[in-house]
Amino acid sequence: MKPFLTATGIVITFLFGSRHVKAQGGIEAATGAFKDDVHAAAGLTCNSCHSRSAQGGERYAAIPRTAIAPLCARCHSDAAYMRGFDPRVRVDQFAQYVTSTHGKRMTAGEVRVATCSDCHAAHGIKRAGDPRSPVAPVNVATTCGRCHGDATRMTPFGRDAAIPRDWSASVHAVALLKRGDTSAPTCNSCHGSHGAMPPGVENVANVCAQCHLREAELFRASPKKQIFDAIGQAECLACHSNHRIESPADTWIGLKEGAVCAQCHDETVGGVQTIRDVRQQLDRLSAAVAAADAVLTRAERAGMLVDEGRQALRDARDQRLQSRVLVHAFAIKPFAEMATQGVTAARRAQDTGDAAMRDAQVRRRGLAVATLLVLAFLVTLGLKIRRLPDVHRE
Amino acid sequence: MRGRLRPWLEERLPLADVIETLRHKTVPHHRYSVWYYFGGMTLFLFGIQVGTGALLLLYYRPSAAEAYESVQFIMTRVPFGWLIRSIHAWSANLMVACAFAHLFSVLFLHAYRRPRELTWVSGMILLLLTLAFGFTGYLLPWNEVSFFATRVGTDIAATVPAAGDFIVRFMRGGKDVTGATLTRLFGFHVAILPAVATILIGLHLLLIQRHGMSLPPSVEQRAAKDPGAIRTMPFLPHFLLRDLFAWTAVLALLAALSTFYPWELGTKANLFAPAPAGIRPEWYFLWGFQTLKYLPPTVAGINGEFLAVAAMGVGAAAALVLPFVAGHTPRSRRIIVWLGLFALSFMAAMTWLALTGSAP
Repeated sequence: MKPFLTATGIVITFLFGSRHVKAQGGIEAATGAFKDDVHAAAGLTCNSCHSRSAQGGERYAAIPRTAIAPLCARCHSDAAYMRGFDPRVRVDQFAQYVTSTHGKRMTAGEVRVATCSDCHAAHGIKRAGDPRSPVAPVNVATTCGRCHGDATRMTPFGRDAAIPRDWSASVHAVALLKRGDTSAPTCNSCHGSHGAMPPGVENVANVCAQCHLREAELFRASPKKQIFDAIGQAECLACHSNHRIESPADTWIGLKEGAVCAQCHDETVGGVQTIRDVRQQLDRLSAAVAAADAVLTRAERAGMLVDEGRQALRDARDQRLQSRVLVHAFAIKPFAEMATQGVTAARRAQDTGDAAMRDAQVRRRGLAVATLLVLAFLVTLGLKIRRLPDVHRE
Repeated sequence: MRGRLRPWLEERLPLADVIETLRHKTVPHHRYSVWYYFGGMTLFLFGIQVGTGALLLLYYRPSAAEAYESVQFIMTRVPFGWLIRSIHAWSANLMVACAFAHLFSVLFLHAYRRPRELTWVSGMILLLLTLAFGFTGYLLPWNEVSFFATRVGTDIAATVPAAGDFIVRFMRGGKDVTGATLTRLFGFHVAILPAVATILIGLHLLLIQRHGMSLPPSVEQRAAKDPGAIRTMPFLPHFLLRDLFAWTAVLALLAALSTFYPWELGTKANLFAPAPAGIRPEWYFLWGFQTLKYLPPTVAGINGEFLAVAAMGVGAAAALVLPFVAGHTPRSRRIIVWLGLFALSFMAAMTWLALTGSAP
């Protein structure tokens, strides 16, 4: 079977390879792209990768797809060679690749899976940190999506082609693509780059914990951990999903439709009172924050300086954020303590705003009295001026 | 008490002479007389600046570490501190507006003519000092907007060939805008500029007292034909009471502006933060700021910004020596009026374009 797959692979590779150069507009296009290639800058030439084609002349033979990764690895797995260009460069890419789903299938002769040139390009390769590179953080999802978002390509492998679209609607995509936060996760942050493979159920929490460490710690120490392990439930995914990860809302907590707790809990299952308490306190805290913000905004519009109130409101918002994180402890006590602190801070902010509004009223009343006095003075002065003897001629 | 105090004072001070002089002082009364009040209004607002500035000095701390917090303290903790600071800021703006109104009224009424050349020159220098007061005072709260606006403003001086670097270092007290710039501008704002301004105001008032109010040429011609056609009013009390009326109205306006639109403090300057969007100077520098935007980087190989700065410098110098170079014929006066109208329209148009956020 294996020799058959390899032979098929060679035939398909030959066909794909022939098209490869054509697809890039021929040798001229490849040569043009290579001028801006990181390898050209390092002094490599066409001959470094290509041999002359069987037809002779100036044409170079296309590299069979199954041979691309091993060809790249000739240099990129050679620590002594690579050190000459970058002493800190990694040389484990090929070792990782052969453990990935892509690498395993390619080794088996399945040439439709990704190899180095599919992600990095063939002749215009840029460093990963270069924003023009297809593997730069902001471009990774598009690069992966070229195949993984194409139902024609994915169906034969039994893969869902909606995944890139789901990720694009996630809070992570918004952070990365709209806010330009390059620390936000994209495909390779969770699946790996060269050793790309979906994390298993048991590993999902570890992957999320790369960034969401506090939530992961709280969850591991919570009673939910044992239950999830026992039923084989992937931890974070149960409430947050995997690719289409939306910004969590307080309405997720509860027993009504739309609440994630309601997926497992109803009136007959334990923990109902805790769910209600958590939701009630979060609502109370959010209401206190909104009320404080409203009065501080009114005071600011009235020209009052309410910096202390704004600081207290920032504290309240921070404590609300921490309260939401503490939901992952699945215990009422630490959550309630933090939520109460938040409500206290929000009330302090509201008090500052109320005091500023009272002060603004006092100022306006004072101004009204002063204006009346000034007007009275002006009227008196005007009458005095009118009663002065008229101007005279020289 | 009053009966004994006055002879005591008169024995020691020439009060009687002063009062007698003021009693005999008269002010022409004609259709353009309203413009006479702008000089007094500018002086009144300068007095408010001095008074409120002195009060702010009691709490203000001129260092990068404490300036912002001290202004915040004035605004929130000091009784009526918010009012004093807002009146200081609003009256500064009204003072600049009054000074410009005074300048253009003097220009259009040709009050700079012989023998009032020195009155005009001292007035022009006082206007430049007023703008310098605005520039040096702008940075003192040490907030984000003022910090970056000062950086942009002082950068413009770097375009001056040869001396540019020295001028920038002199204004900033170093290579960049830092706490040293704040301390330096504070020194200029509260000591050097007030000292020079006080001397010049004294000279300006002395010259006005010496030469009296100028008559516009058209009124002068009428007076030449019919000396009885020119009406006058006594300075004391007629003119002074009218002045007092205007000053009181302005004081009420200042109180209302300060109550309903207290001067904002903004966020504290951060030397390492990138410049926020929408940085621009005070409104009276906007026309120059906008002009710079319309100039290309180089014009015939010369730095565009430098050309603009040089043109403004030449314009200011020309205005300064105007009484010495302007002719006395009606045609010359018409040219001066047209030039003044062009300058005023250009400044107004550029300011409007800057306020509406227009970009080239």
